[in-house]
Amino acid sequence: MQTRSKPDKFVVSRDKEATTHLFPGLFPVGRQAEWSKQNRTLTFSIHPLNSKLALAVAGKLPREKLERDTKVYEQDQRVTICGLAAVPDERLPFISDTHAVFVALQRLVEDPADSADRSAVGIEGILRMSTLYREAMLRQVRVLQEVTNTNEFIEEEIEAFQSMHAIWHLFEIIYLATVAPGLSTSVVPYFMEWLNTNFPAPSAEEGRRIAEAFSTADELVKRDGLWPYLKKLAIRGHVSILANMLEKLAPAKLLSPAAARWATAVSETSRKMPLGSSEETTGSFNARWKRWNEEVKNTATSIGCLLNKDKKSDDDDLALESLFAIAEILRGNVDTISAESELWQDVLGAVMLYSEPTAQAGRLPSLASIIVEQYESSAFTELDRALVALLNHDLPEFLPLCSHIDHWLSAHIADLMEHISIMDICRRVFAVNPREHYILALCETYLGHENLWRIGLDYLGLCKTRSGISVMEEFVMRIPLDSDRKAEQVLRVCNQYGLKNAYDRIHRQLGRQKWQRGRLGAAIDHFAKVADNSSISLICDQLWNEYLGSGKLNFGSVIDGVLAAGLKHDRVQFLSRYRDFHECYRSAEFVQAGKTLLSILVSEIAPPHAVADLLIDSIPLLEGDTLVFSSDDTFELMRCAESLTMSQPSSRISNSSVSIRASSQNGIDRSELSIFNVACSRNLARAFVMS
Amino acid sequence: MSSTLQIQPVARKVTAISWLPPQGGTAYTDTDLYFVTGSGGKHKELVLWTTRNPEFPNPSPKHSADARTNALATVITKVSHDGDVQDIIGLSSSVLVTASSFGTLSIYNVDTENTSDKCIWLRESVTAHKFRNGESAVATSLAAQPSGSADKEIASCGEDGRIAFMQASRADTLQSYEVDSTVITDICWPTAAQVAVTTRGGQIKQFDRRTPNEVAAVFVDPSNTHAFECISAHPSQSHRLATGTSSGTILLWDVRNPRMPVSEAFHVHATNVWQVAFDPTDASRIISCSEDATLAVTQWVAEGSAGASALGVKPERTRGVRRLSSMFNALSVNCFDACPYTRTNLLIAGSDSGNLLMDNGTDSEFGYDFH
Repeated sequence: MQTRSKPDKFVVSRDKEATTHLFPGLFPVGRQAEWSKQNRTLTFSIHPLNSKLALAVAGKLPREKLERDTKVYEQDQRVTICGLAAVPDERLPFISDTHAVFVALQRLVEDPADSADRSAVGIEGILRMSTLYREAMLRQVRVLQEVTNTNEFIEEEIEAFQSMHAIWHLFEIIYLATVAPGLSTSVVPYFMEWLNTNFPAPSAEEGRRIAEAFSTADELVKRDGLWPYLKKLAIRGHVSILANMLEKLAPAKLLSPAAARWATAVSETSRKMPLGSSEETTGSFNARWKRWNEEVKNTATSIGCLLNKDKKSDDDDLALESLFAIAEILRGNVDTISAESELWQDVLGAVMLYSEPTAQAGRLPSLASIIVEQYESSAFTELDRALVALLNHDLPEFLPLCSHIDHWLSAHIADLMEHISIMDICRRVFAVNPREHYILALCETYLGHENLWRIGLDYLGLCKTRSGISVMEEFVMRIPLDSDRKAEQVLRVCNQYGLKNAYDRIHRQLGRQKWQRGRLGAAIDHFAKVADNSSISLICDQLWNEYLGSGKLNFGSVIDGVLAAGLKHDRVQFLSRYRDFHECYRSAEFVQAGKTLLSILVSEIAPPHAVADLLIDSIPLLEGDTLVFSSDDTFELMRCAESLTMSQPSSRISNSSVSIRASSQNGIDRSELSIFNVACSRNLARAFVMS
Repeated sequence: MSSTLQIQPVARKVTAISWLPPQGGTAYTDTDLYFVTGSGGKHKELVLWTTRNPEFPNPSPKHSADARTNALATVITKVSHDGDVQDIIGLSSSVLVTASSFGTLSIYNVDTENTSDKCIWLRESVTAHKFRNGESAVATSLAAQPSGSADKEIASCGEDGRIAFMQASRADTLQSYEVDSTVITDICWPTAAQVAVTTRGGQIKQFDRRTPNEVAAVFVDPSNTHAFECISAHPSQSHRLATGTSSGTILLWDVRNPRMPVSEAFHVHATNVWQVAFDPTDASRIISCSEDATLAVTQWVAEGSAGASALGVKPERTRGVRRLSSMFNALSVNCFDACPYTRTNLLIAGSDSGNLLMDNGTDSEFGYDFH
């Protein structure tokens, strides 16, 4: 029975988070008690979008409850903003690179016909994208290694990226590279390549150091670390290098004759190791392999016998012992391999290479479990645990481990898993959609960043789930719109992902912002985009009142700008027509002016409170030298005046005759109404006579 | 038809870019070319770069290091900038002017001879754009007067609907005029006595420099009502203007005909065109960049005949567009500048993905579709 308790997957692990101390602190160290007595404590507020924190000293009790002579401290008036940098600058190029790949991958999966290369569909297309991700990780490691002033942080980053690459590479081998059609499906060569790329040993430096002594065989034999190096070569499957080295050192006089003879023999045997090719069937390869394995076994046994004989004579022959170990490794002896390896990955690689060279990815779990059992699991790093989970095909275990290493990794791996349809197994274990969960976790760090908000939004949008979109909608409305261009970009994102509600809210917000700044044209433009007619009416009323207040008609430029943008709104039309009226009047085209004024009244585009002013404006035309209004026109004017007086209770028809224009707020002035009435009747009489 | 741009990550949102004119006026003898980029967002700064003149095929030993690291350009120095850099104009090899998101215009001095850390410094700056309520307004664009004089006039425009004029030698000569009620997105000088601006309200407004209070002419596109993002004047035909719209179209204008000022529309981008310019070395091409993460070179007039090309006088060119992009650049291309000082068409651009993009104009095929 299995007793090992599995970690709860629904608990978000916080072990990557560390405590940060403010230095200097807001109150002196060791004086908390004294401080507390002075009614002082700390208060804080977290920024809704980014990882900034506002801290301030606050009173425990409100001011009113304190005695009057309580001291107020100068430094307590200060608010400290402290930023916890979530995304280091060094990562920015990596993030933008991988974002581009992520976007391309979504496009590829969604609509393969749309991509530039039609052949790049299915596993091969995804494999190509996966390689691009890996290249980005390797590039990041290179860039970080080139940083001159390395510190602890840079080293941690390098390690994180190396771990990420190791995990990604292994994932790629198990789920993409070895399942691609038309390829030899043995996982072993891929695994050895993975091992040698991600855990470089024997290191190139070591090899160089030893090769320096290549001039004579004797010097070579004298080198320290030669034999461990040769054993490592065998474990990592570098058999041809091993064969060359052995051949080189065989003539050395320092070696015992037996060792020299067997060095040549092992060299020859290892050279004969069969290599698989795509043309050969697995069966015929296995047959060849078996023959070779038999040969190695014979060599190993012979050396073993010799050693046993030597033991009796108490004479240590290091060379011969090492040759024996090498031969044992080559024949796939698990015990020898375990004894000679440093890492469990080495053991797994060597065992597979020498005893199951045609193993497929499906064999990995059983092989891995045998080997990993021999290691103390408490000594395992996060990387080890993630790799083991991956080898065991235990994806529900694997994903949370990835997120411990880096949110970037878990989000992108989960995305890839979704696209190659191996996520189902995780869905049964997780309460939420794992792809969405990890992508949202990644976005959290991006969204508050000044340069990465757009990338964060793309991730949310391409999440393609309801909660992704709703988080996006919430967030997008909180982006600071510090320039017109940024506002355009945000609005475009809204359009792209169909965020109707946010689009609406942002336009209203922009409209209000422009209004406050006195940019009325721009404000109307924004309100018009979302058909916020009441706000446009309010702005128009403001313009109208400004005109009434100053007597100067200044709104021309405002409405021209918005009319050019094709806005059709009654109040804006009204202001525009009213300006036309003024222009005609100024250029003494009274008939045209009268026609315009009448059309404003008839079409009822004017706000009710402006009708009285329009009627007053008609008085000079009614009383002018030329006849402007025909009898019908005059009747129309009178009808307007009548409906105006009817619509207002008689009490509101004021008797005061203070300012003509001020009257408009309260209805029509009685004295002006009578003037208007007289003017109308006089004009009517004139019109009848003239006609 | 699309070509791939060369790319260099710089970890900054590149918002403005400009070549610095070489000291002699042309770069025939210069082995190094200089340009300046401006960035916004988290890192608000100006960066002076150098790149090898492509007309010198044999790199000196100093540059073989560049070749090894495959870098397009190398940083000489950086200075921080007050606000996001909205636009940069390299006036001469030693003076550049910038516009900032805080509404200020700044004059910087550059010394490319002295390649120490301090070879770029702020000489003076002045606030040119602010709203009526006192908040600073973004200065959206700059344009230098096309005159032969050493002391050029700089025109700027802003979100406050104002245009401002300043002598490049003295910031205190600033004069500004309110000319629009919406946002002014871009400004250019068709002639030394005329400026033209584009507005978010979808208008082109022209002004006489001597009476900048009065609008001399207004042009709109009667067939469509999109906002205009950018404008550029033809280098020699002052009646010809090009504008980019918020819907991704490039409009070509002939303002001699006030009834039908739009002579042609090219649908080259998917969305907002941020900058447009006639190619300084060949005005039969229009270069543009857009939010859709591409650059486009539009051959708007067919040139040369089959006969001429057979004689080798001038290669025949058909109308079409060449799109430039990079797979690793997924976000908006904000700005570009084509180098007018070399025979090779060196095009540099900057993007929101934090990349420097470069194209050295090998004459590849132009596609035929504008859609």
